Amino acid sequence: MDIIIQSLVAVFNPMTFLLIVAGTLFGMICGALPGLSSSMAIILCLPFTYSMDPIAAIVLMVAVYVGGATGGSISAILLKTPGTPEAVATTFDGYPMAQNGRAGEALGLAVTASSFGTIFSAFVMLVASPALAVAALSFQSAEYFGLGLIGLCCITSIGAKNQMKAVLSVLLGLMISTIGLDNINGVERFAFEQPFLLNGINYISVMIGAFAIGEVYKNIEEYRHRDNSLRNDGKISMKLMPFREMVKMWDTFVKGSIIGTIIGIIPAAGGSIASLIAYGEASGSHKDEKPKFGEGNPRGVVAPESSNNACVGGSMVPTLVLGIPGSPVAAVIMAAFMIIGITPGPLLIREQPIMLNAIFLALIAAALLLFIGGRFVTSQFAHILKLPYPLLGTLIVALGLVGAYSLKNSMYDVIIMFIFGLVGYFFDKFKYSSAALILGLILGELIENSLRKQIIIGDGSAMGFVTRPVALVIIVVAILTFVWPMISKMMRKNKAPTV
Amino acid sequence: MAIELIFNIIVGLCIAFYLFTAMQLPPTDNPIDLLGAGGFPIIIGILGLIVLAMITLKVIKEKHHIHIPMFDMKLPEGRMLVLNVIILAAYIALLDIIGFAISTALYLFVAAASIGYRKWGLLTVFSVVTSAVLVGVFGAVFYVPLPRGVDFLRELSYQVY
Repeated sequence: MDIIIQSLVAVFNPMTFLLIVAGTLFGMICGALPGLSSSMAIILCLPFTYSMDPIAAIVLMVAVYVGGATGGSISAILLKTPGTPEAVATTFDGYPMAQNGRAGEALGLAVTASSFGTIFSAFVMLVASPALAVAALSFQSAEYFGLGLIGLCCITSIGAKNQMKAVLSVLLGLMISTIGLDNINGVERFAFEQPFLLNGINYISVMIGAFAIGEVYKNIEEYRHRDNSLRNDGKISMKLMPFREMVKMWDTFVKGSIIGTIIGIIPAAGGSIASLIAYGEASGSHKDEKPKFGEGNPRGVVAPESSNNACVGGSMVPTLVLGIPGSPVAAVIMAAFMIIGITPGPLLIREQPIMLNAIFLALIAAALLLFIGGRFVTSQFAHILKLPYPLLGTLIVALGLVGAYSLKNSMYDVIIMFIFGLVGYFFDKFKYSSAALILGLILGELIENSLRKQIIIGDGSAMGFVTRPVALVIIVVAILTFVWPMISKMMRKNKAPTV
Repeated sequence: MAIELIFNIIVGLCIAFYLFTAMQLPPTDNPIDLLGAGGFPIIIGILGLIVLAMITLKVIKEKHHIHIPMFDMKLPEGRMLVLNVIILAAYIALLDIIGFAISTALYLFVAAASIGYRKWGLLTVFSVVTSAVLVGVFGAVFYVPLPRGVDFLRELSYQVY
């Protein structure tokens, strides 16, 4: 009881609470701006934490993390430019919702789902940290391979209009993911002695090109024939869905949060993979729902947003308990722990119980503050959308360019963005799927590396994929998720009465 | 249909080149790394060619007409689009020469005008203010080392970010 009271006092004193408010807002703003990720936002906060009390410092960083994970959805929904990698899957249905005049609703759903996911994972972190961390450590390459396959199964929904072209798009994404140094042997692949290709092609610049620039080209083409009056008159503000409407989607909220928490706990998996898997699960479970996934289904916003925010609490589990970061952002937080003089690991919870409770309370407070911060940031961001399209389109390009450039401060990423802008345009014309291409690019490295590593671990045998029960279950689920929609479609065709 | 077939041929050539390059990758020294550096690329390359062949057969069978305005210079939207692609390419090329601030202001002005925006006063203010805000936020506040340009422009940029 003493510990709980001490934790409450530590977090809810005016100064620390102010830090949570500031951190959440700052994280949201950085998340909403393409090119400024959650990890960058935390790094920018680091210098301010040197002289702070350790709890205040960690609480600030956790708040930035929560804000950043949510902020990415704002630009994903309004501009089709995901502010953070975690928000890629949010564009699939968030942007179509905005195009259908439901931008406020999509933003409200994104914030609600993010808040729900954060609170869910905070409770899991508090209650089951040690047990979950140990379980997650038993994950080997076979399980990671299965997770990658499940992520790829999203294509059955995002490429619903043309499955074959979606499959080819995913394969092209996988091919692009193999460019650069081979992670296992260090062999140079498809780099053609160009140093900038050795590290591979960054999927953020591909994503900005294929999504944002491709969309701008498409809109320029249609601009002369489009009635822009509606778009400019409407005031966009975050709208919360009625509670009874949200309750109807309870399963998507819960499943997204569970997936996010689990993926967050697994070291080095991260929010982008979690959101893709959650999106794939939701689209598979509700494939007959109208509007379809990819055309503005609210569940398509809820699933990725609840899962990528649930990753926040999830990733703190191995970070705090084992000293192994659960995500790239958690790695930055762990570095901050070290700078402050705290060593994460099994002794942390025993020696500093207030710290764990403080992080839990900070997560809850930041999650609730998302509603206020979200309202403020989205209302400011929505002003941009009132611009006439020639101004808005060029602004998106300039923002996208900064986003691509700031990844590595390199013009090569800008050139890649430019090339994939054209690829995105032609993909749209020929009904290929840019989303599936990005999916392949994100998951390619995970799939190839875990496939090869498992074979190496198995001494040249692939039996590990079958003999490891968890891996087998995940792989079977992945295969069924991919194959089942096709089988059920064939069955429906056969059952349909012939006229 | 013809334009989609050309697109498919280009994609096919890219995949074939990828596959050919993958086959040239050196074999692994590690006997238990069965796939090696080239194994996975070869698998997805072959799968890619098979799927592309199936798509192409379907395209030939269905004979859909696809109109790409970018290739139709008779249409104003086609010309507008090509012009915008060229303007963006020029913007990227100029970044390292005249720096981010000036090239962004120029891009915003020229690209918006090319799409059909004609309120010159407002456009000038928009271009200058947006460029200044982007430089301020990303360059000065978040320390992103935006392109600085050459010679005195470079020196000048150090005064701002």
